[in-house]
Amino acid sequence: MKIGLFIPCYINQLYPQVGKATLELLEKLDVEVVYPLGQTCCGQPMANSGYERESLGACNNFVEKFKGFDYIVTPSGSCAYHVKKHFDIIPQTAEVIKLRKNVYELCDFILNVLKVKNVGARFPHKIGIHKSCHGLRGLRLGSCSEKVTEEYSYIGELLKEVSGAEIIELSRQDECCGFGGTFAVTEEAISVKMGKDRIQDHLDNGAEVITATDTSCLMHLEGLVTRNNQPLKILHIAEILNSVN
Amino acid sequence: MSSRADILARVKTNKPKLLNIPNIALDVFEDGRDLLKEFTVKVETAGGQVFETQSKDLVVGEVQKLFPEAKVNFSTLENTEDFNTINLEAIKTPHDLEDLDVLIVESNVGVAENGAIWLNDALLPMRILPFITKHLVVILKKDDLVTFMHQAYQKLNGEDTGFGVFLSGPSKTADIEQSLVIGAHGALSLSVFLV
Amino acid sequence: MSHSKAATIFNKDEKKVNWHDKALWFVRHKRDKSVHSVEGWENLRNLGQGIKAHMLSNLDNYLIQFEEKALKNGVQVHWAKDGDEHNKIVHSILKEHNAKKVVKSKSMLTEECHLNPFLEADGIEVIDTDLGERIVQLAKEPPSHIVLPAIHKTKEEVDELFQEHLGTKPCGGDPQYLTGEARKHLREKFVNADAAITGVNFAIADTGGFVVCTNEGNADMGAHLAPVHIACMGIEKIIPKQEHLGVFLRLLGRSATGQHITTYSSHFRKPREGAKMHIVIVDNGRTEQLSRPDFRASLQCIRCGACMNTCPIYRRSGGHSYDATIPGPIGSILSPGKDLKKHSSLPFASTLCGSCSDVCPVKIDIHAQLYKWRQIITKEMKQPFVKKVSMEMMGKMFAKPSQFEKVGMVARWSLRNLPKSVINSKPNVWGRERDLPKGPKESFDEWYKNRKKNE
Repeated sequence: MKIGLFIPCYINQLYPQVGKATLELLEKLDVEVVYPLGQTCCGQPMANSGYERESLGACNNFVEKFKGFDYIVTPSGSCAYHVKKHFDIIPQTAEVIKLRKNVYELCDFILNVLKVKNVGARFPHKIGIHKSCHGLRGLRLGSCSEKVTEEYSYIGELLKEVSGAEIIELSRQDECCGFGGTFAVTEEAISVKMGKDRIQDHLDNGAEVITATDTSCLMHLEGLVTRNNQPLKILHIAEILNSVN
Repeated sequence: MSSRADILARVKTNKPKLLNIPNIALDVFEDGRDLLKEFTVKVETAGGQVFETQSKDLVVGEVQKLFPEAKVNFSTLENTEDFNTINLEAIKTPHDLEDLDVLIVESNVGVAENGAIWLNDALLPMRILPFITKHLVVILKKDDLVTFMHQAYQKLNGEDTGFGVFLSGPSKTADIEQSLVIGAHGALSLSVFLV
Repeated sequence: MSHSKAATIFNKDEKKVNWHDKALWFVRHKRDKSVHSVEGWENLRNLGQGIKAHMLSNLDNYLIQFEEKALKNGVQVHWAKDGDEHNKIVHSILKEHNAKKVVKSKSMLTEECHLNPFLEADGIEVIDTDLGERIVQLAKEPPSHIVLPAIHKTKEEVDELFQEHLGTKPCGGDPQYLTGEARKHLREKFVNADAAITGVNFAIADTGGFVVCTNEGNADMGAHLAPVHIACMGIEKIIPKQEHLGVFLRLLGRSATGQHITTYSSHFRKPREGAKMHIVIVDNGRTEQLSRPDFRASLQCIRCGACMNTCPIYRRSGGHSYDATIPGPIGSILSPGKDLKKHSSLPFASTLCGSCSDVCPVKIDIHAQLYKWRQIITKEMKQPFVKKVSMEMMGKMFAKPSQFEKVGMVARWSLRNLPKSVINSKPNVWGRERDLPKGPKESFDEWYKNRKKNE
């Protein structure tokens, strides 16, 4: 099984620790991981802003770098979703079809492909899970509160097995954080308000740490937490699952 | 071209290829709930009350106990001349019913999943009656209860009525700050007597 | 005004935003409680979606069938290409009956066509009889929500409004008292009305009948008292058979307010003895929307408002920020089809979180349509220079790994070394209320390469 590690552009540049944790975690789980150099971005920032046509170069570069892998794993539900959902703008060659099928968000991959629940992590803290929307309602990484289905959560299942980890309940279990790509800037007032409200929910319910499958949501929340000096730590799920003390 | 022809032509040109109509299979909805219990809970949730009674003939007496202050009453039941204070034949316009305090009517379908009760032209001498009355009393046979709306419509199939209404509870509104207030424009209360 | 500008103004009063958000979340919560008690809810949604999609694919035939049956039932049927024709038809019916006083129950279609001002210009009194609609009518505002038209008004505001217009006593915003007074005020209007106008929730092709749903009983109070009943409907309100109401009436009330069914689901088929009944069937842009494969599913909408209640943006920006007859997510995919220029900011008033699509009882892929409208708007509408150029630059950068690396290095250096006052200076909207991450020395790329070297 040959796995290509996809590190989204903003993680690569701004949150390399999330990339490292992802790689180390996968290596601990004994899989052969390759990080193809020269990868950039899935194209989502342009596409979600209405400039899908400007994302063709990014899509093509993505395919070039990741064709040939059995699986593509990424610490981002949103980017995985973008590849699955919106890579219909490039010709659907056998390579592209395979790649769209085999791109996985990290938790989904660990739980459903590797069939591992307990990754051997220890993290004795109260954790609030922010269920990032594209992972939740796009990739269906968990049940959402709108639909009447059996309850499940991939990130929750993995966290439950982390020694010492205590998952807190939120008042609104899956409301959006308000990041939304360029929305964060073009609709700044609402974006900030949504973020503040999410953070308050975590604080009210005793979270010490907020985690998620997406660093983009977390960057937005962290920006607010830091600015407002709030007593919360923001960590990507890979960092928690890779944690041993 | 007339607007009718224009609209129809545009629909014809713009519509997608014909899609199949789904078949409504009822087994997926079965929840094994008790009809009578469910109906009662749902009428109450909708703001109404449910009473069980041995016979239709007892209803008028019970209603008089429920609304001792009522002055203007009407019932569609047979042999209730003593109860009725108005004569519908003498009523020229529906507006003359404005002071009606209590109305007793019969229904032929009740729906357990939502407490809805069917009333139609055949059961209502005038359409405005169940809306304009202050208090509405409906008599329903337990045998006429169905589980879901689907079965209710199966029962209504072929019924050629000019007007009918599924009614669930008294009239209500929550338009002022989401505060539920019973009694908007229609009836202020609903009492269902199950026979 | 763009949505974001209006939203910024709305957000100046954070307490009111919190209040508005909670009021609508409460409705969403009630919806959850009620749908989670329904066995087979997702099957029901599939049926709702399937029946509506089928209806659209055979709409012309169903319209013909509906008209034929309605005529047989003794109902007069009219067709209107647009809002203007609709208004003229309604006006001429009222003239014909010499109707001067009209009571109207909720109809988003008549809002869309701006019927009230049209009739009022000829001295006809039109009273909106839904309590929420009456409140906004007195306040001279449009509804801010399709099911809860006055959800943006506090009870104290309603109190003041009623004191001014209905002569009520100050009551500290007591909903019970205010509703009671509105009942008296509107009862008088019902009794004296010359004509009643209602909307249509569902029009049934195989019976020629139509269903109107209310909680207050205002549609019935109007229609059963007045000598003339005019029902106005968009072409997409058709459903093939009466039995399909079993599906839609199970979906509608629960999705809208969490009620298992609305209080009154009134089935009109024939006029009552001595009275007249008219149906006005309106296109007003619907056939054009039908021609767009990516957007035609928006015509499946049953106007429950669930997408508004669930939308985190709607809850925090208020319905008026959308400046459209139908606000919220569904409005944001319908409105651009009518006037792309006016409504071009609406598809961007979303994080694409997808909650609207999952809450929708007829499974309209609202968030996917928002995404698709964005692609069209950036092509057909002039975009801000900065946005256009930055997107092109980003596109080029992500196509070339070497360029991405260089830009990344500069960005990280800047975040690490520039003073906060520079980083968070005015052009950086992000930085107004949020910090940016501290730029790390090493990108993941660099770290990985170094690690390989040292292996």
